[in-house]
Amino acid sequence: MNHLKTRLGWKKETSLALALVFGLTLAGCSSNSEATGSANTPEPSVATESATETANQTNQANDNKLVVYTAGPEGLATKLIDGFKAQSGIEVEMFQGTTGKILARMEAEKSNPVADVVILASLPSAQGLKAAGLTLPYPDAVNADKLNPEWSDSEGNYFSTSASALGIAYNTKLVSAPPTSWADLAKPEYKDQVNIPDPSLSGSALDFITGYLSAEGDGGWSLFENLKANGAVMAGANQEALDPVITGAKSIVAAGVDYMTYKAKAKGEPIDIVYPKEGTIISPRPAAILKSTKREENAKSFIDYLLSDEAQKLVSDAALLPGRTDVKAENRANLDEIPLLKADWSWMSEHGDEVTTQFLQLFK
Amino acid sequence: MKHIRIWSIALSLVVLTALIVVPLVEIFVQSVYRDGELRWAALFRTLADSQLTGVMFSSIWLGLCVIAGTTALALPLAWIMVNTRIGRQKWLEIVFLIPFMTPPYIGSMGWILFMQKNGYLEQLMPGLAFLTPSFFTFGGMMMIMSLHLFPFLYLLLRGALERIGGSLEEAGAIHGAPFAYRFRRIIAPLLFSAFGMGAMLIFVKTIAEFGTPATFGKRIGYQVMTSEIHKYISSWPIDFGKATTLSSLLLTACLFIWYAQTVLNRRFTYNLVGGKGSRRSSLRMKGWTVWLCGLFVALLLLLSIGIPYFSIIAASTMKLRGVGLAWDNFTLDFYKQLLTWGSPSMKALMNSITFSLIASTIAVVLGTWFALVIQRSKTGLQRTADLFSLLPNTVPGIVMVVGLILLWNAPWMPIRLYNTGGMVVLTYVVLFVPYTVQYVKSASSQIDPSLFQAGQVFGGRPGYIFRRVLLPLIIPGMLAGWMMTFTIASRELVGSLLIMPPSVQTSATYIFAQFEQGQVSLGMAMAVVSVGLTTLMLVIIESLGSRRKWNAS
Repeated sequence: MNHLKTRLGWKKETSLALALVFGLTLAGCSSNSEATGSANTPEPSVATESATETANQTNQANDNKLVVYTAGPEGLATKLIDGFKAQSGIEVEMFQGTTGKILARMEAEKSNPVADVVILASLPSAQGLKAAGLTLPYPDAVNADKLNPEWSDSEGNYFSTSASALGIAYNTKLVSAPPTSWADLAKPEYKDQVNIPDPSLSGSALDFITGYLSAEGDGGWSLFENLKANGAVMAGANQEALDPVITGAKSIVAAGVDYMTYKAKAKGEPIDIVYPKEGTIISPRPAAILKSTKREENAKSFIDYLLSDEAQKLVSDAALLPGRTDVKAENRANLDEIPLLKADWSWMSEHGDEVTTQFLQLFK
Repeated sequence: MKHIRIWSIALSLVVLTALIVVPLVEIFVQSVYRDGELRWAALFRTLADSQLTGVMFSSIWLGLCVIAGTTALALPLAWIMVNTRIGRQKWLEIVFLIPFMTPPYIGSMGWILFMQKNGYLEQLMPGLAFLTPSFFTFGGMMMIMSLHLFPFLYLLLRGALERIGGSLEEAGAIHGAPFAYRFRRIIAPLLFSAFGMGAMLIFVKTIAEFGTPATFGKRIGYQVMTSEIHKYISSWPIDFGKATTLSSLLLTACLFIWYAQTVLNRRFTYNLVGGKGSRRSSLRMKGWTVWLCGLFVALLLLLSIGIPYFSIIAASTMKLRGVGLAWDNFTLDFYKQLLTWGSPSMKALMNSITFSLIASTIAVVLGTWFALVIQRSKTGLQRTADLFSLLPNTVPGIVMVVGLILLWNAPWMPIRLYNTGGMVVLTYVVLFVPYTVQYVKSASSQIDPSLFQAGQVFGGRPGYIFRRVLLPLIIPGMLAGWMMTFTIASRELVGSLLIMPPSVQTSATYIFAQFEQGQVSLGMAMAVVSVGLTTLMLVIIESLGSRRKWNAS
């Protein structure tokens, strides 16, 4: 009997509960909507509010700290930060992730930004930050005139302090005659053997794809279509694409960043890299000060440090291309030894999203 | 007394709303508000996207298949552990938690390394290489996920079977019922409530799971909702609107399942823990059945722990990953590097332990309070509290975390918790409080009210009854909740990736960073160490707990 009563009872109660949920949801919407709406659109009232907040926080910003969000490699990032700390005495907090993750974190924090400086692994992303007005120009950075002018902003919004080149990484135990051209990867001998990094995660892969398309025009898509038809698989960011090749599950990474391959090779792994003869793309790694920073002086001295001889030496030790033209790399191919495609960076910056979407569609 | 109860319900609703509901509402608001305008059209445009239905369907299909898979593993196991001699091996209890302690992406990586072309299986037994193509399919994914999630269902089922006790089944046997009949008419109905809850949680866990789809699913091209959501949130181009819309969809699906489960559940709830003691069934099995059971347990251990851990340990002790399995390729350098005092890895390990200790303790206190408030969810308010407390379990972790960030990093938020350790603890508490609520609720809802009445008759004051009657009976549930929270919190990845303050790492984010940076061996070594440490903690707790056993007997 009791049982029956509860069974009849719950219907009424559930409807009550559901009504309550929806009521709360709606109430929540109306009370929160203003706050969220204003967080996204800088209305005048909010602007003053955040101005006072900035003023407040500038006071507490003399905390001798700096927050840096940086794309890999982690070893290099740690060394740079230790070096900077030893030189300036400034405490650095670092968040390390892929370019996609860093941008996502910045997006999540946009109503209350945390980072002072970002180092990304993709030039178009930095151009995007500049276009969105998120960067703070620093035209009088020391040594900025020695940077490769194609990779950095003339107004000092971002500085490419290092770069990687994209090539074809292959397992030396499985591939005896390495491919010499991008088109070779569509040959039957590489059927189901090719990994390609995901451009939505890897900034450098995105640079390669957009760069290749900007140089080859729309006909460039046929390369990727042929790769797909030959069983190429999109596999996470760079390391996730490279790892199966090291262990021998796959033979080749198309458009892998070279510094990871150089490092693995130096360790003794059976792996090597070639740059195809028709040319490839260089993916610069820009550093930028964010406009929202409350530690402008610290941020500026960090940029100066990144451009210093000491930091550039660390960059070249990590098997990356130094951003300064007067510093040469010793343990890898230098810029003049790598055949280059004629890339159009402004086209790449404009078409990044669209190309990513189309590429993901193709490799789904 | 009445007063206190009402205040307690109201207060718990307020806490639940602030912790859980408001962040989710933020998400919902974000999905319809674009650029400061209300845009319902955007919501529907995303929903109308034709590919979405396919992805939604594959998520649900995967969820259902994994329920089937985990049931096939957990139900026999629970029965064996309760009814046979094998169940007396207490160490098995902890061992069977290991699959669940293993971060899912590590477990999947272990399987991938083992089964892939030129993988460990092929290196050990080249003759079995033909298995590779059939493993990298949907079936393989279902198997990996079932092997990862079955301990969860097993714990719930075993708890329920223990509460059923032997006497009911014996009564059936005396009246001449064969095993199949007894199972159908006695055990199955009594088990149904626990199974329904477990199956729902497995379903939700599966469709909210990120690690396996991100590693294995990506390889076989199986797209699910979480990988889509994660894509929109963490990779370029970022589209919070789409992500939140998909999340809302996922949330709706989960709520629907939850509702169906509660409806079914209410029909199958019985009072099992009465004043009379319960004891194990004295029905004994013949020798060969025990052997069969032993074989099942051994096989399960091999598949759920043996193979993945063989790969993980092998990968963590290799000088060169390109060389593969060979004795001259063996090194312990990565462990040395990892366990050097003061190294980043050591700090990450300590952070993990500290965060999860604090978070699981807070979660148990809060969760027990919520569970006692909810009771058998008879009134509307209680049912609301029940729903709210379950929400974090029905929403993919990443969605919950984005909601929390939106809320706690809002410019108007007076408490500056974001980017501090407090935020990490808060996130873990919110994400994992449903476990304690479930375990305590499941323990307390089967207590016969006559026990409390007896306490009152003998003049026990409410405080005394709580302390001497209720608390001892729900402590196993609390302990299970604490252990579960600690275990999962110490390996939580998705949320940690997004909310860790700069320069702070936990073992999970450390492992992930190693995978991104090319130090796969170091990452694998960290996985072994952190799972080992968690196991050790659980062994200590369990051995302390086993000195004081309350099984209402």
